[in-house]
Amino acid sequence: MRRPRPPLSARRAAGWLAGLGALLLLAVAAGAALGASGLAWRDLAAGDGTARLVLLEVRLPRVLLAALLGGGLAVAGAALQGLFRNPLADPYVLGIAGGASLGGVLAVVLAGAAGARLVPAAAFAGALGALVLVERLATSRGRLDLYALLLTGAVLNAFSGALIFFLQSVASSEQLHAIVFYLIGRLPSPPPRTLLFTALATAVATAALVRRACDYNALALGEEGAAQLGVDLERLKRATFGWASLLTAVAVAAAGPIGFVGLLLPHLLRLAAGPDHRLLLPAALLGGGAFLVLADLAARTLLAPNELPVGVLTALLGGPFFLWLLRRRAREAPDG
Amino acid sequence: MPHGGRRARSGFALAGALLLAACRAAPAPPAAPSPRVVVMAPAAAETFAALGLSGLVVGVGDFVTYPPELAARPRVGGYDAPNPERLLALGATHFVTSASEAAAASRARLAALGVEVIALDGASWEGALAGMAALGARFGREEAAAALVGGIETRIARLRERTGTLPRRRVLCAVGRDPLYAAGPGSHFDALLTAAGGENLFADGHGTYLLASLEAVLARGPEVIVDSADNRPGAPYGALSGLWGQWPLLPAVAAGRVWQVSPDRYAVPGPRLAEMAEAFARFVHPERFGPPTAADFGPPGGE
Repeated sequence: MRRPRPPLSARRAAGWLAGLGALLLLAVAAGAALGASGLAWRDLAAGDGTARLVLLEVRLPRVLLAALLGGGLAVAGAALQGLFRNPLADPYVLGIAGGASLGGVLAVVLAGAAGARLVPAAAFAGALGALVLVERLATSRGRLDLYALLLTGAVLNAFSGALIFFLQSVASSEQLHAIVFYLIGRLPSPPPRTLLFTALATAVATAALVRRACDYNALALGEEGAAQLGVDLERLKRATFGWASLLTAVAVAAAGPIGFVGLLLPHLLRLAAGPDHRLLLPAALLGGGAFLVLADLAARTLLAPNELPVGVLTALLGGPFFLWLLRRRAREAPDG
Repeated sequence: MPHGGRRARSGFALAGALLLAACRAAPAPPAAPSPRVVVMAPAAAETFAALGLSGLVVGVGDFVTYPPELAARPRVGGYDAPNPERLLALGATHFVTSASEAAAASRARLAALGVEVIALDGASWEGALAGMAALGARFGREEAAAALVGGIETRIARLRERTGTLPRRRVLCAVGRDPLYAAGPGSHFDALLTAAGGENLFADGHGTYLLASLEAVLARGPEVIVDSADNRPGAPYGALSGLWGQWPLLPAVAAGRVWQVSPDRYAVPGPRLAEMAEAFARFVHPERFGPPTAADFGPPGGE
């Protein structure tokens, strides 16, 4: 029998956040220090032009992007799990990832030479299109129905998947190559403006979701209980759907549908730090960022000079861990 | 009766003559039907043409684009998903495809349908030469195949001699751009650029083709880049820095040794291997072998 967890104290929360913040800093430092080339920051100090190019334009932007996208996906997953009161919810259940992936693949197939450069913008547009469609279809009499939201998201993901398969079957070998690696999920080295946009979107969406942390806590009592505590459920649903979708859209547009971060990290942190969303959401931002930075570090260095798509690493780490977690929960659940 | 006896005798004689004629003209065992071959692998298609066997080919895979007389044959799909219905409708007796894992399911399916499956290793240099010899042996052109393989080996050996004393230049063979995919050890590109006096930038990579680290490319500084990633119709080929121009620090960009080439010309390890190696020598050491010609860049047959 598990011992009941003590209520969240400011000191405990600060301890967790300081620890995870330090982990993220260490991960970023390791990510920036290590790479396939063996170039180090002291080479930059020595005025090496190649070191400047590799460290400042290739390695560091990618590490920072990993931190932002990992954090954003984990926050989106934690918020959606809170809203649906379902631990299997993740940022990709809403159909947004399907729309984004379809947009990215359409850009590769239809836009010719400019296709690769248009992928992020097209994926973002696809995500916004999916968001509007899902919201319209899941709204009935002015209310956003959570079951309809899940079902619509699942159907949209399946429909997008079918269209993507169709596009793959008519794509050229070079387009097929780009599509396959985009769909696996891989981190690019973004230009400064992409990094800035990602940072702003992540900060605004995370702040908006953290503001509603007490509402997610209240929702643990059920919709009726939360309403009795004064939670405006309709606003909460729409805000969560909108901001989580934005975080997902930004991530999929930049790096393709990287799996498991939004599912695994919230679970892991809920298990370790407790279910209080006032801690869980900022912890997810820091923990998710650290996880993706470390996964990408492994993807860049394990088989260097080869790279592995980071989506493969997150799935390889995440899949078995998730199954272990489920098994452990099943063992700890009270009989009957 | 005498008339009747004569008639009877002549009747027997006629019957005997017919029987004798029938015995003399006893049908020889039916000649084996001519093979009807479907070729999926572009290198095998070129080999059929080089051995004078184009007439046997009744269908081709989607990736066969050369020679024109074979590229115009009915299409039956990709390596991993040939259309068995179309294949059987063409009356295919032989199916020549790749030995790759991607084609394994289609090989098994067609073998079960009674089609003779010939799987060739097209990923490596040795595999490509062995494939040419195997096709010659299977379809009665052993001597022509031996001459073809021998000719390639002789030209390559001569090239190796000429490049043996030249400085080895670091060469990146990019076969995909986004993400960056490069030729690794064991690929036919690796053999081509080595024969041409180069050193593969990813000779230490894992796999014949690999998802390459951009960071490693920038740090290792290739002196020559052969970029065969762009197969769009009308793609620009030639001495163009293309996307590599954004990194002027790269020695290949600084020296003007970035070559955009058609994948159709270099991705097919078939009868043109010696020509490819000689073109690579012009890419790697233009000061020794002369600058590449227009024919070195575009798709085959476009000269």
